[in-house]
Amino acid sequence: MRIILVGYGVVGKGVTTILSRRYVEKTRDVGFNPKIVAIADIDGAVINPRGLSPEKLEAIKQRGFPISADPDFGRPGISALDVIESVEAEVVVEVTPVNIQNAEPAMSHITKAFKTGKHVVTTNKGPLALAMPALTELAEFNNVYFRFSGTVGGGTPMLEFAKRCLAGDKILSIRGILNGTTNYILTEMSKNHVSFQDALVNAQKLGYAEREPSMDIDGFDAACKVVILANWIMNKKITLKDVDRTGIRDVSLQMLEEAAKRNSTLKLIGSIEGDRATVKPTEIPLTNPLCVSGVLNAVTFQTEFAGEQTLIGKGAGGIETASAVLRDLLDIRRKLATKLLN
Amino acid sequence: MMKIVMKFGGTSVGTGENIRHVADLVAQYAKNECRIAVVVSALAGVTNSLIEIACKAKRSDAKQIEAFTEGLREKHLQAVSTAISSKAIQKEVAQIIEKTIFELEKVLTGIAYIGELTPKSRDYVASFGERLSAPIVWGAIKDHKLETQWFTGKEAGIVTDSNFGEANPLMNFTSHLIRERISPLLEKGIIPVVTGFIAANQDGIVTTVGRGGSDYTATILGVALQVDEVWIWTDVDGIMTTDPKLVPSARMLPQLSYQEAAEMAIFGAKAMHPRALGPVSKENIPVRIRNTANPENPGTLITKEPKNDSKEVVKAVAMIKDVAMLNVYGAGMVGAPGSYAKVFDVLGKNNINVMMVSTAVSEANISMIIKRDLLGRAISNLEIALLERGGFVTEVSAEDDVAVIAVMGAHMKGTLGVASRIFSTVAKKGINIRMIAQGSSELNISFVVKEKDGIAVVKAIHEEFKLDKA
Repeated sequence: MRIILVGYGVVGKGVTTILSRRYVEKTRDVGFNPKIVAIADIDGAVINPRGLSPEKLEAIKQRGFPISADPDFGRPGISALDVIESVEAEVVVEVTPVNIQNAEPAMSHITKAFKTGKHVVTTNKGPLALAMPALTELAEFNNVYFRFSGTVGGGTPMLEFAKRCLAGDKILSIRGILNGTTNYILTEMSKNHVSFQDALVNAQKLGYAEREPSMDIDGFDAACKVVILANWIMNKKITLKDVDRTGIRDVSLQMLEEAAKRNSTLKLIGSIEGDRATVKPTEIPLTNPLCVSGVLNAVTFQTEFAGEQTLIGKGAGGIETASAVLRDLLDIRRKLATKLLN
Repeated sequence: MMKIVMKFGGTSVGTGENIRHVADLVAQYAKNECRIAVVVSALAGVTNSLIEIACKAKRSDAKQIEAFTEGLREKHLQAVSTAISSKAIQKEVAQIIEKTIFELEKVLTGIAYIGELTPKSRDYVASFGERLSAPIVWGAIKDHKLETQWFTGKEAGIVTDSNFGEANPLMNFTSHLIRERISPLLEKGIIPVVTGFIAANQDGIVTTVGRGGSDYTATILGVALQVDEVWIWTDVDGIMTTDPKLVPSARMLPQLSYQEAAEMAIFGAKAMHPRALGPVSKENIPVRIRNTANPENPGTLITKEPKNDSKEVVKAVAMIKDVAMLNVYGAGMVGAPGSYAKVFDVLGKNNINVMMVSTAVSEANISMIIKRDLLGRAISNLEIALLERGGFVTEVSAEDDVAVIAVMGAHMKGTLGVASRIFSTVAKKGINIRMIAQGSSELNISFVVKEKDGIAVVKAIHEEFKLDKA
């Protein structure tokens, strides 16, 4: 399977690593032969129809050059859109940075891939948060697959769990801790009694939080995930502006202590119940299975027949998220194989 | 603050005076705390003339094309000078018209050179009607010192498949683009003027939405902008109980459900095409049919569940003329799976639409209603394909002096005795019924009588069910 990788940051590198690691095993055991034929980054691309070597690119990057400086296959200055349009491949893996203002450049990358008949795997929440109903419709119209399991829960298969394992059952509501950074901060505050500001600085030092932390602490990231869950699992055509969102800036130590007296704590909970989609600090009992610590994510699906199901796992991380990309690629491969043989 | 999409049809923008009136109406509502998006059709008759010249262009010479575009230029510039009073705006709009006409001339010349009209180029030519009317309406609104901006359907963000001539919108993608491009203007009180009928596929090639036309554009826009109501301004007060030319006591229906309105499509141009009702009925956005010449009248309101709905079982009756009844006989069809499919397949392949079907459980014949002008083609092709071949069709016959009478109303469903009342009313007039059909939705009973008896039947039913009284 020929792959165009768009974006070569943490997740992009994770994807190349994961695809090359235990390559022989994957080919032998599941018959999956992935070949990255192009990598497009902000300042150009490398293109080789016979497949690129991630080690060589990593070495170029280590020396401080952009990957397009590759003497054999580098194409400095070529845009990702041109690469998507002109390079022959089955799948585009879109892993550029998130932008929730207008979802660009990922939005254009994904629509270009659809229009040129390429399947898309993305870990980018921006386009989904702002235009998920539009994108799923456009993929279907162009008869291509669109997979994004890395956008919610990182490596933890939350979307597939609900969509496939709970198939046939009716999911009545979804509640979850969908952002690891805020969960780390709230855990620090309640367990070690540090202030919000100190906990945030800690999180930044440990690399859990960005220098510009608004995306996490104001609940945007969790709200994006609520949009994706609502669309994909509950067929609700909502976008980011439909989510009623409150972040954790106003959570005080005092509030957490009050909650502790009631054997509870405050967590940033994203939920979809009926027509309401919300993200807000919510008090939950310490005994609730959702009540996980540190950077963990957890989500509870309440179903009509099978009762409550809770999934817990690491929500982020380059390699974890890249593992979701591999999962999506295998899924597309399986679907394509069925199509080709029938 | 109420958000409304207002669509103005071809007759509403037929002349410069009419366009001025349209702009007055828009201004009046805009100054009355309404947020308005406007959808306009081409000037009356223009789209048909464009399609006609496009078909002729492949055999035309430069002179004919020039004569046509010159006429079109005159017509629109005339409208500009009466619709708009400010000289500056007149000039601005006239420039757009000149540029657009110039482009049209090049397109038609291209078609003449190649000698071929593809569905793609046909749509492109057809799109010029709205591209010429929208700037005039825009100018007339601007004349009222209102902030306004005009767009083609493509610029507004209506994306369709590539089914030229009858393109289907990708509704979610379209909503996404319209919300990005048009919503912010609406919020700021700027009046967007959007061309009806025309859109583009995902590669930006111009398409037209076909059946439903500008009404369809209006409902698409209504859904994307999440408006309170979509108003279809036309030249009648609303949807009527029957054609007032047949029955002078015909009355306007104040409310209808989407389903009923869709059934009324057979009433002809004065009603909405069911296709246009698709987007709004899903999102439950009300549609109002209104009269530009009588804006005091609230018109017909179409909603999911009409409030204060009259419990009258029959709401309207219509006569559909210019049809013919086609009968296919054959003892071999009895109990033979797939035999009906063959009959319909032959008609379908010859592009003949079947409007009504009736067949008894004996299965020995099928009766169908089709457009009268297609009758010759239908009979001939059925005979060629099926007569005595495979042994199941033995005779194809037709009656071309018939009309369909359609009686409709949502409350017919589950009400006993409606059919009996209808048919005894017809019987009392001494008129024979040739064919009957009622779908299981029970919204509509259709039957066929001789065309000469049609008006008498419509009158009798209108009277029997007291449709002239609210």
